[in-house]
Amino acid sequence: MIADPLNLILILVGAAIITVILDPVFRRVGLIEFGGIVASLAFLSTLIFLSLEAVAGAVIPRTIVWGPDSPLTASLKLDMLSIYFSMIFSGLGLVASIYSTRYMLFDVEHLPTDDLLWIRRRELGLDRYYALLLTLIAGMIGVTIANDFFTLYVFWELMAISSYSLVAFRKWSWEAVEAGFKYLIMSTLGSLVALLGIALLYGLAGSLRFDAVRAAVFGGGNMAATLSLMMILIGFGVTAAIVPFHSWLPDAHPAAPTPISAVLSGIVIKTGVYAILWPLFKIFSPLAYGFGPILIGLGILTMTFANIGAVMQSDVKRFLAYSSIANIGYIITGIGLAAHVLKTHPSEIGLAALALTGALLHVLNHALGKGLSFLSVGCYIVRVGSREVEKLEGIGSRMPITTASLGVGLLNLAGVPPLSGFWSKLFIISASLGIPSDNLMLAASIIFILNSILAAGYYLWLFQRLAFKKAGSNEKYEEAGEAPALMLAPLVILAAACILVTIMLNPVLQFIRSALEVILG
Amino acid sequence: MSLYEIYFGGSLLLIVVGLYIIASKRHLVRVVIGLEAVTLGVNLAIASMGIRIVDDVVMMDALAQSMIAISTAVAAAITALALSIALNIYRHYGTFDVRKLRRLRW
Repeated sequence: MIADPLNLILILVGAAIITVILDPVFRRVGLIEFGGIVASLAFLSTLIFLSLEAVAGAVIPRTIVWGPDSPLTASLKLDMLSIYFSMIFSGLGLVASIYSTRYMLFDVEHLPTDDLLWIRRRELGLDRYYALLLTLIAGMIGVTIANDFFTLYVFWELMAISSYSLVAFRKWSWEAVEAGFKYLIMSTLGSLVALLGIALLYGLAGSLRFDAVRAAVFGGGNMAATLSLMMILIGFGVTAAIVPFHSWLPDAHPAAPTPISAVLSGIVIKTGVYAILWPLFKIFSPLAYGFGPILIGLGILTMTFANIGAVMQSDVKRFLAYSSIANIGYIITGIGLAAHVLKTHPSEIGLAALALTGALLHVLNHALGKGLSFLSVGCYIVRVGSREVEKLEGIGSRMPITTASLGVGLLNLAGVPPLSGFWSKLFIISASLGIPSDNLMLAASIIFILNSILAAGYYLWLFQRLAFKKAGSNEKYEEAGEAPALMLAPLVILAAACILVTIMLNPVLQFIRSALEVILG
Repeated sequence: MSLYEIYFGGSLLLIVVGLYIIASKRHLVRVVIGLEAVTLGVNLAIASMGIRIVDDVVMMDALAQSMIAISTAVAAAITALALSIALNIYRHYGTFDVRKLRRLRW
């Protein structure tokens, strides 16, 4: 259906240009939702294009080159794995942009009064908000459809620059600018480390096309290739928030406007996962480079550290940010288990596929669950004006729809049995128990299970405090009601999507299996 | 030492200098300068990988040239953004000193 995957990028970037030019005009005549409408339509059309492509059946992995087919020209690819990731990205972009049409208005209304100077200077930049959101998602989709390392890097930076500006978007608050600066420095250093790794690969292969690089490094045993593997893992791992490189995330994600927090926590860190998964499995083979134990170790470290960190948070958005790090830990552990199984027991490819299925399903579950949780918390912020757990206790009686949606999201993240969040964790755990003689995998599964129990405990504890506890003496409760309909609609859509994935688990697994064929061959 | 090694060694040196600046300096603009030094070092590393010597004439691969051009543009965008955020921090606190910030600890 999509003749050229570049069309996806063109739709989003084109919509971004349209909003930049026309939004100030429409804003003046009073149509303040113009940017939101354009952004929603653009995301909707990419989502429709992608699903038509996916439904059309077996997507033949294909590459597109412009101009002469020399190693110098940039090229794009399209396969089931890129479609899987891109659909998650544009879907969450759609709900975030619908939600933003109301949330961002509130955000401006409630400026601290001593900062009204900003409004007078017209420096709010709301007309550029949707353009940044569109280029953010365009960059992420671009990362998944790149077919050479430099195209990947360019789209990566498109995503990164948009997300830095969005984190620092509320420049009238100290929290946002500080977190934005910290995020910018750390994440740019990460990208530069990855670019250095890419430079080494270029030195080895003389080209950056994935197939050429693969031919050069596939055999293994090459010192420079191992070094560049580590650099790519570290560099993209900064954006994926793997633990030694995570410290920007608990500051940056809560500081952004809430829809952006949902996008950052839900999908931007998943782009990091893709940028690790694809080179490690498709370029460097897990058979030649034994990176499985390293990934398992990083994953275990990430989830344990983040779960312990999450328990200590009193700010709901910070709590959700820590839980994002923990979920990245689950996903990285799943990927590492697959690599480890492929290396040590090459005959057990089914087990590796099971671990990767769990990891990919968890990418979807976490995107839905975390997006839903952040957007629900955004409704609380709009109505109660606080994100402290203590001040939100018992809000469930005032805002039942929001709290019920938050409940679905948190239960999905907690992995409560019927919901699909349970199945993705179960797949990873059962894959790690698949070879009982392997001590590393056994240890990983034990720590994984303990972490899941701890996480389930604190999600449920948070939910019961918000939903059922007796309301404290907070005068803001009395007038608190449900948020505007345009903010509730995305919550209901995401909650329905969580339940729909659970009901239609088999088609989703079929989809993931066809994406796995791309990775495992 | 071959030309490649000199260039690559130089680029690593530039990266180390940049990292040192980022880690040690307390002034936000100097941190941005350090970031720029790391970027230039990485660009130089790409250049060192693109050296081709044909008939004793040193040339550079076209792919390396285009990569460096694009990556310079990207770095310019990032630097501009970093400086604008630093300016906003200055408007809040009236200082560029990292130690005066509340959350900026790494």
